[in-house]
Amino acid sequence: MIDELTMEVKGLHLWYGEKEALKGISMPIRRNEITALIGPSGCGKSTLLRALNRMNDIIPGCRIEGQVTFRGEDIYASDLDANDVRTQIGMIFQRPNPFPMSIRDNIVYGPRIHGQTKAGELDELVERTLRQAALWDEVKDQLNRSALVLSGGQQQRLCIARALAVNPEVLLMDEPTSALDPIATAKIEELACELEKNYTVVIVTHNMQQASRISDKTGFMLMGELVEFGDTESIFNKPQKEMTERYIAGRFG
Amino acid sequence: MFATGQQALGKRRSADSDRIIGWVLAAVASLAVLTLVFIILFIAENSGKVIGEEGLWSFITGGIWRPYQSEYGASSLITGTLLVTAGAVLFAFPLGLGLAVYLSEMAPVKVRRFLKPAVELFAGIPSVVYGFLGLILLVPMLANLFSGQTTSGFCWLAGSMLLGVMALPEIVSVSDDALRSVPNTYREASLGLGATKWETVKKVIVPAAAPGIAAAAILGIGRAIGETMAVMMVTGNTALLPEPLWNIFATVRTLTATIAMEMPECVVGSTGYSALFLLALILMVIILFINLAARALVARSQRRFTGTPAGRFEIWYEKRTAQFMEVCGRHRLQLLRQALKTALVFVFLFFIVSLFAPFGEAVVLAAIVTAALGLLLTDGVRRLGRRRVQTAAHCGMAAIAVFVMLLLAVIIGYVVINGAPALSWSFLTEFPRAGGTAGGIYPAIVGTLELLAGTALIALPVGVLAGTYLAEYAGDGKISRLIRDAVDVLNGTPSVVFGLFGLAALVTWLGLGISLLAGCVTLALMVLPVIIRTTQEAVRQVPPELREASRALGATKAQTVFHVVLPAALSGIVTGAVLSLGRAAGETAPIMFTATVVIESKLGNSILDPVMALPYHLYYLASEGRADPSMMYGTALVLLIIVLGMFAVATAIRIRSERRSR
Repeated sequence: MIDELTMEVKGLHLWYGEKEALKGISMPIRRNEITALIGPSGCGKSTLLRALNRMNDIIPGCRIEGQVTFRGEDIYASDLDANDVRTQIGMIFQRPNPFPMSIRDNIVYGPRIHGQTKAGELDELVERTLRQAALWDEVKDQLNRSALVLSGGQQQRLCIARALAVNPEVLLMDEPTSALDPIATAKIEELACELEKNYTVVIVTHNMQQASRISDKTGFMLMGELVEFGDTESIFNKPQKEMTERYIAGRFG
Repeated sequence: MFATGQQALGKRRSADSDRIIGWVLAAVASLAVLTLVFIILFIAENSGKVIGEEGLWSFITGGIWRPYQSEYGASSLITGTLLVTAGAVLFAFPLGLGLAVYLSEMAPVKVRRFLKPAVELFAGIPSVVYGFLGLILLVPMLANLFSGQTTSGFCWLAGSMLLGVMALPEIVSVSDDALRSVPNTYREASLGLGATKWETVKKVIVPAAAPGIAAAAILGIGRAIGETMAVMMVTGNTALLPEPLWNIFATVRTLTATIAMEMPECVVGSTGYSALFLLALILMVIILFINLAARALVARSQRRFTGTPAGRFEIWYEKRTAQFMEVCGRHRLQLLRQALKTALVFVFLFFIVSLFAPFGEAVVLAAIVTAALGLLLTDGVRRLGRRRVQTAAHCGMAAIAVFVMLLLAVIIGYVVINGAPALSWSFLTEFPRAGGTAGGIYPAIVGTLELLAGTALIALPVGVLAGTYLAEYAGDGKISRLIRDAVDVLNGTPSVVFGLFGLAALVTWLGLGISLLAGCVTLALMVLPVIIRTTQEAVRQVPPELREASRALGATKAQTVFHVVLPAALSGIVTGAVLSLGRAAGETAPIMFTATVVIESKLGNSILDPVMALPYHLYYLASEGRADPSMMYGTALVLLIIVLGMFAVATAIRIRSERRSR
């Protein structure tokens, strides 16, 4: 079903100045699936993730070739606005990065930016997104407290709620649990699986167990190339390429 | 299902508005460059006349300054400026370095937290208050102590001491930064090898921070060299070279004092008027060189710890010194260094002793003291043992800290104790009578507050927007570097030069006259670079993750800047702004030609009317000398309360935001 294809990367090259960080990546991203990107540090998986919603545009000296399509449209088309792309394709970062505002203000920041200002609607939105992020019960009595008083895991779930509040279709997660403890990590993973029902998720992770636990599709990257891409089960159980097998067996990286 | 199938991707709408906002901010930031260009233009243009008549070279080298007889030789003024500044740094640098070492390496956290703002308080006290205290405390004291050397007490030494105290905060804070930027691994490595804390400081930390410390000294010089009011009130102001040149008890006159004293008596457009602009130009050139040197040193000290490659000059210099060491041999080089140090100490001691004793005795005495010092420092230290040296050094540094705090207490306490009795309702609400010798200071208070408000109104929006531009939008292109350089130069420009510019450009050329408006614009131009810089610094300290988070939610750059970055940087921006406005409130030199009158019998009712102002009023009363002293103390106290009140507000904001971010 063609409809299932939310995004598609076609022959994507990316340079930081002279350095080629991505060397011709092609892969599909299907709706309501979790796609995981694994690979050793510096292999370009975070770069690829950031290319999916044009976050690399902010970095000076970054050049791109090839195509990334979202619902059939090239997100790098010159008449497209990067900010709109990012509204549709949200991102969760490695370290939780709540704004130094109240919990509530963190969540309504995005909707306000996009012109939604009615107090009633916003209240509803705050509750809904916090529930979606499984944080509501923990913070419902302290919505006006600074977001900085939350624990790391709570902060990360707040960031997820904040991303959900602008109603994106795709969520990009850049090692969202690398700064968290195992219990918080479990909660985020659970949450990701929950989100999968309504959203399309792409997650970069260092942690192979995490990829095998939660993802439907997995891509293995090495030195800017996508070595292998396929169903998570087959990647982990019978990889086609020797490199993938060696990495999964933990022989390098 | 709410999560999918929303509107199609939009076509360019926010990108255009983003670009427009960027351009607007760039335009505001380039105002800074425009100001600088205007200042240089006006000063150069106005100094053209005297260069045409006298010639630049003979103006600089000529020894006689008698404008009323059309003799313009500025060499004694330039020398005077250099001497007073040198004295100030000689006095302030050891104190400042000692205090910085104590602050960064030895003081307990609690002491540091109290001491740091206390040192910065020195910078908050207005120049004219220093001058006033110098006039009534220091000058008579020197006249008593050294009655054989100076009859009046007005002298180079007094000027240097005041300037030294004023330069202290700059020296301390820059050295402190340099010391604290030495990586902790150095300390651990040295202590791990069994060195004492003092040995670590002396042999590892201070040498590692040397370029930064040198920059601190140079920036201190830059601060002192542009000072006007305090120097003018205590140095006696004779346009003659000291005799002998190192006679610290001689009266001298500086460039800034000459400008401030003679400008009110000049006819606009005359040769004398033009000569004062040339003096300002010379001053700016001197300061430019000083700042260039400081900047090179700071860059070098940063390179030390980041490992970026050195410049060509540095490589050349290091090669040469290596060659020199090769030729000389290590041992001989050490001897040479020792000899040089001894000679320096001897010459310095001789200079001082010779002011009190005839030549022959002075030589002998200086030699004896040098030898004794040398013995004490080598043999004495050896006998004491490392532990005791450590203790002694610790005590020495702490003593410096105590001394500086005492100084602060004396300065503030003296004004408060003598000024408090003068404060009364009528003093605060009445107009001055009998040429300011009786009555109150109501119009001066109002004038100062009006100047403050006007300055804030002009400088805050421009400064904050320009600073935001520099931090968020400007890349590393030529234009943004030009703007940054212009801001740096403006930052080092002495306040009296701003006053001169205000007079030539605003009062005369634009025809604003001596007015509140002209004063506000002049003061605004003066504080602008500080506000730009503090904004830039505060914005830069906002962590990049916050920007990414906002951009990832689809916010435009402008939305991110105005809704996330600026609010996060707010306390830093406000702190900087309040501090700089506090300084503006105490300034005299920029408003004395542009905004103030001596006495007002009724308040002006338009921004084109002149005003009275507390700092100028204090200067007037002190230099007039007829006034009842309680009038002066009262005025000084009110001024101090306003300025230090703003300082306290700024410190409170900073402490609160620091606490919150922890």
